[in-house]
Amino acid sequence: MYCANCGVKLADTEKKCPLCGTEAYHPDIIRPEVNPLYPQDFIPKREISKTTIHIILLTLFITPILVTLYCDLYINRTVTWSAYVMFAIALIYIIFVLPFWFKRPTPAVFVPIDFFSIILLLHYVNYTTDGDWFLTFAFPVVTYLGLIVTATTVLLYYLKKGYLYVIGGFFIALGLFMDIIELFIMITFKLNFDGWSLIPMIPLVLFGLALIAISTSRAAREALARKLHI
Amino acid sequence: MKIDRNFNWFKLDNAAKIYPASHSKYWSNLFRLSATLYEQVDLKVLEQAIKNTIPRFPSIAARLSEGLFWYYLRPVSEPPAIMAEYSYPLAYMTKKEMKTCAFRVIVYRKRIAVEIFHALTDGTGGMIFFKSLLAEYLELKHKIEIPCTHGILSRKEQPRHYEIEDSFLKNAAPVKETRKDTDAWKIDGTPEEDGFLNITNFQMSSDIIRDMARAKKVSVNTFLTAVLMKAILNLQFDLIQNPKKYKPVKVLIPINLRPIFGSRTLRNFALYTIPEIDPRLGDYSLDEIINIVHHKVGTYATKKNMAKMIETNVADERQLALRIVPLFIKNIVMKMVFNSVGEKKSCLSFSNLGEVRVPDEMMQYIDRIDFILGPQAQAPYNCSAYSYRGILNVTFSRDIKEARLENYFFRELQRLGVEVTVQSNQRQEVEIDVLR
Repeated sequence: MYCANCGVKLADTEKKCPLCGTEAYHPDIIRPEVNPLYPQDFIPKREISKTTIHIILLTLFITPILVTLYCDLYINRTVTWSAYVMFAIALIYIIFVLPFWFKRPTPAVFVPIDFFSIILLLHYVNYTTDGDWFLTFAFPVVTYLGLIVTATTVLLYYLKKGYLYVIGGFFIALGLFMDIIELFIMITFKLNFDGWSLIPMIPLVLFGLALIAISTSRAAREALARKLHI
Repeated sequence: MKIDRNFNWFKLDNAAKIYPASHSKYWSNLFRLSATLYEQVDLKVLEQAIKNTIPRFPSIAARLSEGLFWYYLRPVSEPPAIMAEYSYPLAYMTKKEMKTCAFRVIVYRKRIAVEIFHALTDGTGGMIFFKSLLAEYLELKHKIEIPCTHGILSRKEQPRHYEIEDSFLKNAAPVKETRKDTDAWKIDGTPEEDGFLNITNFQMSSDIIRDMARAKKVSVNTFLTAVLMKAILNLQFDLIQNPKKYKPVKVLIPINLRPIFGSRTLRNFALYTIPEIDPRLGDYSLDEIINIVHHKVGTYATKKNMAKMIETNVADERQLALRIVPLFIKNIVMKMVFNSVGEKKSCLSFSNLGEVRVPDEMMQYIDRIDFILGPQAQAPYNCSAYSYRGILNVTFSRDIKEARLENYFFRELQRLGVEVTVQSNQRQEVEIDVLR
């Protein structure tokens, strides 16, 4: 078949003229079905290099650190408040960016690292403000929270079923965490027990128990899946 | 086959040294050779054929490695996995891929293709490798014996030292050629954002073109180059209204140096000549352009002149002060030089492999052969030609949307009375903007 516009002879693979875009059609000519020269719609994805993304992110994180450091040094002639900013930005980087440097970031490693970094930051704040709340309050509270979050994420990551048990257990532990906070506040800041921690604790524990109860009953699980499916 | 220890690694040849340095985020310098058979490709047999062929070609079946001062090549230990065809050939090859294996084998229905990073070899070397691979495949598949003629090398033999030599170093003249040259007109267009490479293939009778070239007393290569230059000239006249803004039309013609210097290397051994016409001097007839190309190639592509040009390139490589510069600095400098000078001297390359011949025992299984060049780094076009079984193929590759040059090239052929068939990998949904 020839192109009606430019006159070039078209191979049977061509649905349109590659030179002028005119559709190849003639009512009296039946063209044989042939395979295209190349498969259609199979285009390699252009991936941005992981290193490039990391360099961009690192630049985004380092820039505010340098700016605050410069301002602090310029105004106070020493590092004062900018250290908090630096630690906080570093913490965000460690929690949200660092795991993506690795091919398969495992929560068994990265969640404890995150909590350890938080403990270090709190220790620094305690040290610079001459506080005496780190050992008796911040350290035990954050350590407990770190343990339950690590245990939950690791179990969810490695287990193939039983997620409701794990999440139920997490809510119960979170309920207890409220009491622990109140307990260490009492010890550290010499306050009396007024029971505020029971208000979040009771619904959290009940919710956790409900999830465990649901997980034990297949009928309840199915009913829940029916009602809540997306 | 026991491999000679001399073939464990290779320095890049003189022409290849620029290629890894000029590799960018959007451009990897590849070319492609493919053969369409009369039957579906048997992947298992092809895998075995690759395995049998690659030890014979240690400098082509190779991967890129980085030294402290230079890149170098190492033969691949494992044959590359056969890949599926994308919607376009010569898909971008990352440096990481090159460091695993700097060539690909691709299969699409009845077609076997190899895509080779230009640092490994040039079109002639690539064709020898490809024909040998095809011969091995057909021998295994059909239990036939194919003679080692027409550029096919025996896979049972050891690689030879003369096949891996850098023939540039051996054939330099004592004096240099100047590198000064004017910039060429750059064909512009809308870039394909997803890296799509448009292929437009023209098929015509090689006898008719040969007769036309003979009537003008020039070679087919000269004749086709002139037609291409005329098409570019007309395109420029139509696209640019202000004659003061016209720029020279220049086409880079690679010259295979093997027959000139009697080399049998499988590495890069080609240089180029760039015929030129200046549109500011007015219109040119086809005969005028043929005359210019014929005399430019005739006076320039001589042994002595090529040796001078080789010396220009080799002289830098010989300087100790340059050799001891660490690779990462060399890369930066070479990339800057390449970007600022490298590809501004021509509108496109026109690489003609000539008549591709294979033994009769092979020919009955091969329907067609294709040769495609990737586009230039900063210019959207390249063009290749070859003939096989009486059909002359001219294939344009472009990474812009508009098929203007192809259209103008066709008009020139139409004016000469040549009947051509066109075939492409165009996207069905793309609207083509053509000047009418």
